[in-house]
Amino acid sequence: MKIKRVTNKTFVLTAAIGSILIMLMVTVNNIWSVQRTQTATNNAVSAVSSFYLEAMADRRAKTITNLISNNFSQMEKALTVFSDEGIENQDQLREMIGTIKYLLSLNRLALVDEDDIVYTQYTTYTGGSRYDFLSEAKLKDRVISTVFLYGSSTQLCLVIPADGLTMMGKSFKACFVQIDVGDIVKLLAFEEQGRTDFAIYSKNGENLSDTKLGSIILEQNILDVTSKVLSDEEWDELQKNFEKEEAGNLTFKQNDTEETLYYVPIPGTGWQMVVLISESIIHEQIRGVSEQNLSFSIRQIAFTVIVLIVFAAILLLMLRRISSVQLQAEKENSRNFMSMANTDSLTGLRNKHAFSEYETSLDKSIRDKAIENVAVVVCDINGLKHVNDTLGHAAGDKLIKDASVMLCEYFSHGAVFRTGGDEFVIVLKGKGFDTRDEVMDEFNRKVESNISTGDVVVSIGCSTLTEGDEQLNDIFKRADKRMYERKKELKAMGAITRDT
Amino acid sequence: MKKSILNKIFLISVPLIAVILVICLVIIPKIKSGDNDVENKTETDSGHKIEKMSTNDDSVRSAVDFDHELSKYQPKKDHYNFYFTYKTVHAWWDAVALGMEDAQRQFLDNGIVITYEYVAPNGASAADQIERLNKAVQGNYDVIGVDVADEELISPVINDMIDSGVKVMTFSSSDASADCKRIAYVGNTHNYEDGASLTEELCKKLDYKGKVAILVGSAGAPCHEDRARGARDTLEKYDNMSIVAVEYDMDSVDLAYDLTKKILADTPDLDGIICCNMSNPVGAARAIIEKNSKAVIVGMDHDKEALQYLKDGVIYCLGVQDCYSMGFDTIQVAVMIADGVYPGSLYPEKSEMMTTLIFQQDAGAMLETLYGDISR
Repeated sequence: MKIKRVTNKTFVLTAAIGSILIMLMVTVNNIWSVQRTQTATNNAVSAVSSFYLEAMADRRAKTITNLISNNFSQMEKALTVFSDEGIENQDQLREMIGTIKYLLSLNRLALVDEDDIVYTQYTTYTGGSRYDFLSEAKLKDRVISTVFLYGSSTQLCLVIPADGLTMMGKSFKACFVQIDVGDIVKLLAFEEQGRTDFAIYSKNGENLSDTKLGSIILEQNILDVTSKVLSDEEWDELQKNFEKEEAGNLTFKQNDTEETLYYVPIPGTGWQMVVLISESIIHEQIRGVSEQNLSFSIRQIAFTVIVLIVFAAILLLMLRRISSVQLQAEKENSRNFMSMANTDSLTGLRNKHAFSEYETSLDKSIRDKAIENVAVVVCDINGLKHVNDTLGHAAGDKLIKDASVMLCEYFSHGAVFRTGGDEFVIVLKGKGFDTRDEVMDEFNRKVESNISTGDVVVSIGCSTLTEGDEQLNDIFKRADKRMYERKKELKAMGAITRDT
Repeated sequence: MKKSILNKIFLISVPLIAVILVICLVIIPKIKSGDNDVENKTETDSGHKIEKMSTNDDSVRSAVDFDHELSKYQPKKDHYNFYFTYKTVHAWWDAVALGMEDAQRQFLDNGIVITYEYVAPNGASAADQIERLNKAVQGNYDVIGVDVADEELISPVINDMIDSGVKVMTFSSSDASADCKRIAYVGNTHNYEDGASLTEELCKKLDYKGKVAILVGSAGAPCHEDRARGARDTLEKYDNMSIVAVEYDMDSVDLAYDLTKKILADTPDLDGIICCNMSNPVGAARAIIEKNSKAVIVGMDHDKEALQYLKDGVIYCLGVQDCYSMGFDTIQVAVMIADGVYPGSLYPEKSEMMTTLIFQQDAGAMLETLYGDISR
């Protein structure tokens, strides 16, 4: 199986593409999430708003029911008081009505006698034409009546029969309280603090509370207005529910304005409590939440992108650094290999291989006539074989090292090469060339003195570039010949040689 | 070599990252701003709709003034007790009563307690009124108010009461006779003119030719008789207008209905009916519908059913009186009379109350003004 090699390029490309894909995925995922959340929220709103409206309508209807119930209960108590007080004239009756009104918190408490004369705290008036519930000679049961007064005032009248109540020589037929629907509206508005629109309607859809319901129905007759925006079926159902005093809900739309309402009957009154919320209000509430989510998502995306960018940048920088270090190491290795190939491990001098490269380079200069002054000094250690044989290779190696040190010391301006076991070559250029004679004299003197002391003895022969030389080897040959001549001289002076 | 690869990657990555940033920062907000556009449009539309649907008709609404404040007059006592009696139990006087109750509440707010009786028989009766007045004289009332049921019979009774030191005023629909000693009158002072104006409208509608009937109301009731007189005098001006019947319905809708049917039976080609009170336009309209007559009805007052007939075109014209103001001013004047303040700079002997003629196009606004909902 062929295994594809993973290069740095492949790795970086993969990392970059991967990062971009991740960023794209995060972005697309967030956009999708936002859209999906909005859709889901809209669907949820419909369900929740219906539930919310139902609860609102029920609570308001319950408030009115409790109000009615409390008033009936208080009126029953009031009747008991009237029976027990033995009231003899109208002044006493008015005072008593005032006291009971105050004590029992009854609004506009009134008594009605058999002639339909209505007695209140301040007035006594004929009530037959004002109150339909007085049309019957005798009331059989409690009555909840809606009274429409001249001047648009709508009143809720709660009536109880006053059987057996006799005062001032007259029989009384009823006791009632009269509550302005406007006061009921204030009570309901206070309870709900105006969070939703509500209105109270009669069975035929007229607005009894004079409150504004949304932006389509306003203060108008709900059945009249909805007949224009609902289908015939929906409107028939609404009308029937109003007529039969049943609860229900509906949603309607006009000119891009969508409104949802819930209606619930208020038992005994013939009224429908209607609570409405418009789509814009729902969306206003939800928009706040959505905006928060959206804002959070945008921040999340931006943060993720920034983190990924920083992460990618760090990765790339690290890769660059790693690559740089690797490159440096490889260069070093290369230099080391190169150095090892050109260096003599024993003396640390450049070896024969290095000399060959150097020779090649100089040959070109010689051929090109690019160089004029160059000298080659050929060196050979005297008696190395003797030392190896007699004192061992370690002593031989020491002799080589001492010789190399000595050569480097004297020919400090030359390139010193160890080209063989006991052979060295020195190439002199520049200052080394100019001072060759003095240096060689000094060196030879030292060598000669070493013969007597048993120190290192090195035979050297020097030659310079002359007319006709075509390569370094031409100079080398002449220098080598002189070195042998010098070797003979030193032998004559007592120096140890191969032959010794 | 390696450096150049890294540089290439940088060059590719930067534009890609820029594109992603653009997606994040531009497209997402666009989704959001798209939602806002829809909602703003909704708000604009709904606002526009509200403006289109609002209606107003100040001239009709000013026919009845429901916004009253007490005059600067400072009552001398902190408690007043009045007695008021009127012709008959009827919604017209309930409207007057509401104005009285408003004044009573405002006095109470100022620390002045006003108690009163406001009573009437079930049918108009001068005898009943005399009996009530005689009883009231025995009571402890600061002022007695009378809506005169019959000026000939009641005026002498009022004079006797005044002579005996009782403070008596007349109010709402009918004043006493000119020689009566009553202290002041708060109510309609132009019943004759109301009858004449309604009849003039009828004549104009009939192009000044036709047979008409007059439903007067209660016999002897000054307001009804004055209107009928105004009607007769107006009709006499036109040669081609003739009166075929004059009937008294005694402020009864049912009787007005029966009388109209009888008139229609006698005169099938009846062209118009002049109704002088609040009951008879309703009775006449019912009969006209039942008999499918083309007779044109003009009449008085603000009965809800009558206003609905006006809206439907069954009644041609109605004269609406400002009952609320009558009731409110009656209480204010009664307080001053009780304090011994007589007509002069503070109030006139006869107050001026407005009557407004309204037609089919005004009926909706009037129904809404008086009864809150035109659908009922």
